[in-house]
Amino acid sequence: MTVGRTLPAAGPLVALRDITKVYQMGRVTVPALQGVSLEIAPGQFVAIMGPSGSGKSTLMNLIGCLDRPSSGTYLLDGQDVSRLDDDELADIRNRRIGFVFQTFNLLSRYTALRNVEMPMIYATVPRAERRRRALRALEQVGLAARVQHTPQELSGGEQQRVAIARALVNEPAILLADEPTGNLDSRSGEEILAVVQDLNARGITIAVVTHDRDVAQHARRILQLRDGRLVRDEPVPQPLVARPALA
Amino acid sequence: MDILESLSVALEALRAHKLRSFLTMLGVIIGVAAVIALVSVGQTARSSVVGEFASLGPDLLWVLPGKAKEDSPFPTEEARLTLTYEDARAIEREAVFAVEVTPMLQTSVEVTGSGRKTTTTVIGTTPNLLVVRDMALQAGRFLQESDMSRRRRIVVLGPSLAQRLYRVPRNAVGRKLTINGRAFDVVGILQPEGGILGVDLDDRAYLPLTTAQQLFNINYASFLFVKAKDVESVSRAERETERILLRKHGEEDFTVLTQSQLLVSLSAILGILTIALSSIAAISLVVGGIGIMNIMLVSVTERTREIGIRKAIGARRLDILTQFLIEAVGISLVGGILGMGAGLAISWGISLRLFHSVPTIAATLPVVVLAFSFSALVGVIFGVYPAWRAANLHPIEALRYE
Repeated sequence: MTVGRTLPAAGPLVALRDITKVYQMGRVTVPALQGVSLEIAPGQFVAIMGPSGSGKSTLMNLIGCLDRPSSGTYLLDGQDVSRLDDDELADIRNRRIGFVFQTFNLLSRYTALRNVEMPMIYATVPRAERRRRALRALEQVGLAARVQHTPQELSGGEQQRVAIARALVNEPAILLADEPTGNLDSRSGEEILAVVQDLNARGITIAVVTHDRDVAQHARRILQLRDGRLVRDEPVPQPLVARPALA
Repeated sequence: MDILESLSVALEALRAHKLRSFLTMLGVIIGVAAVIALVSVGQTARSSVVGEFASLGPDLLWVLPGKAKEDSPFPTEEARLTLTYEDARAIEREAVFAVEVTPMLQTSVEVTGSGRKTTTTVIGTTPNLLVVRDMALQAGRFLQESDMSRRRRIVVLGPSLAQRLYRVPRNAVGRKLTINGRAFDVVGILQPEGGILGVDLDDRAYLPLTTAQQLFNINYASFLFVKAKDVESVSRAERETERILLRKHGEEDFTVLTQSQLLVSLSAILGILTIALSSIAAISLVVGGIGIMNIMLVSVTERTREIGIRKAIGARRLDILTQFLIEAVGISLVGGILGMGAGLAISWGISLRLFHSVPTIAATLPVVVLAFSFSALVGVIFGVYPAWRAANLHPIEALRYE
């Protein structure tokens, strides 16, 4: 299945209509999302906030096509992805979504380069082009000198930058980051936010899930969730600007 | 994901746990080695035994004491000694197609010669054994009619017995051999005959039948050799022998076997034995497969998070399935190759020792191909379930796994 950008940049990139998600825990049904509607335009930088149990991770998983909503529709770049099967969703994740996790989630056996190449392996990109694009992505996040290092040989901030390179290497429509600075000291966290802001400045759409108000203030718009509902949606008048690392 | 990429991912995973991979492989190695070794040794045994019996001569018949039941050519009831020297003489006298008859009184006893003691097969027989069995002497003479009538204490030795006792076989002629406390003169040494079923036919001492009967106080023969006039008259010789013995004994308390009957049933028995043994070996291959399944399930659980990561960045179910399946098949195939080497080495060793021949390539090739594809199949069968489990993990749950 090919997923092209069917619509010009004018429409919303993410359009959720009345999304609900219910988890079945044995006999008890737990509503995680209860009718969420929202749109994210291309080029936006959105922070999703809320206390734990508010449904922000569930929302993130749905936007990231890791899961399907119980009801409602989700248009990603104009394409309805709420009823696709597992393999079709895998394709969407591969080509349209880039993930950055709190715990980095790199494969420890592989070098930084190999980790970044991985999404392209599943996209069947030829070997030489894979290498070229992975190197370029690592260069973009400032890790050109450490491509042959394994995750254990890298600092937390460097590992997260490898993860960002991996998320970007297939040129996704949207970068989703789940507490990207949660496992980092404030210095490294600042660096990662600088990288993210830089990417956004270059036109990449970004959604960050965080419970940290400081982190959220780097975005241009904040969505507030509570008990599975969207309770606030407001722009950030003066986003904080993260200082990039001294290279 | 292309197959080369899957291969390298699987190999990396196997290399990451070298000891574990090897131990898992060991199950397959042992299974495949056992199947190949047993089947090819069985085949060698069959062809060499059949060859040995065939070399005894196609015009030979055996008369065994006791009556055979319908489904077996061999006497199954308690073998009573019913055959005598007189029977042999009667057949020789009356038969037209059974030209030579040799009674054989065979027993295993301890003998002493040149101060050395050994246990050997002592056979009381008649001079015509030389003709019936197509044997030849390398020194001295064989039994003679006069030895029979005078119950002389003389003995003719097979070369390997002579060598064991007297070191140089030819020099044994004229020496003394003690059997059951009586001294015998060694009068002749036979040419080497080889072995049959791993039994050394040259480890023998031949006495006059009459002397042996007196020595062991037995009036019967263990069995009779009958030589037909020619190959064409074997079945007529068989019927003649049966008729004459039936008349003499009044009941059918004996069994006449032709060489072809013997070959067919020997070959069948060895075939069944081979199949039975290799089926047991095949069970160990299945056990090896269960080992693979076990370790693959462990591996899938251990790498749940990795599977989650791969799925999050776009791996389809088939990608994950092939990755783990190749890993399982990799273990079983490499195990299969190593087991093949071990099995061939074992079967060559055993065949050389027991049958003094090695399995032919034509005989081994089907077994090798079979064992190899079976081991690959084991990998697929026992790898599918763990791989399927991995492929169907939910990405979110897999990512959350600690």
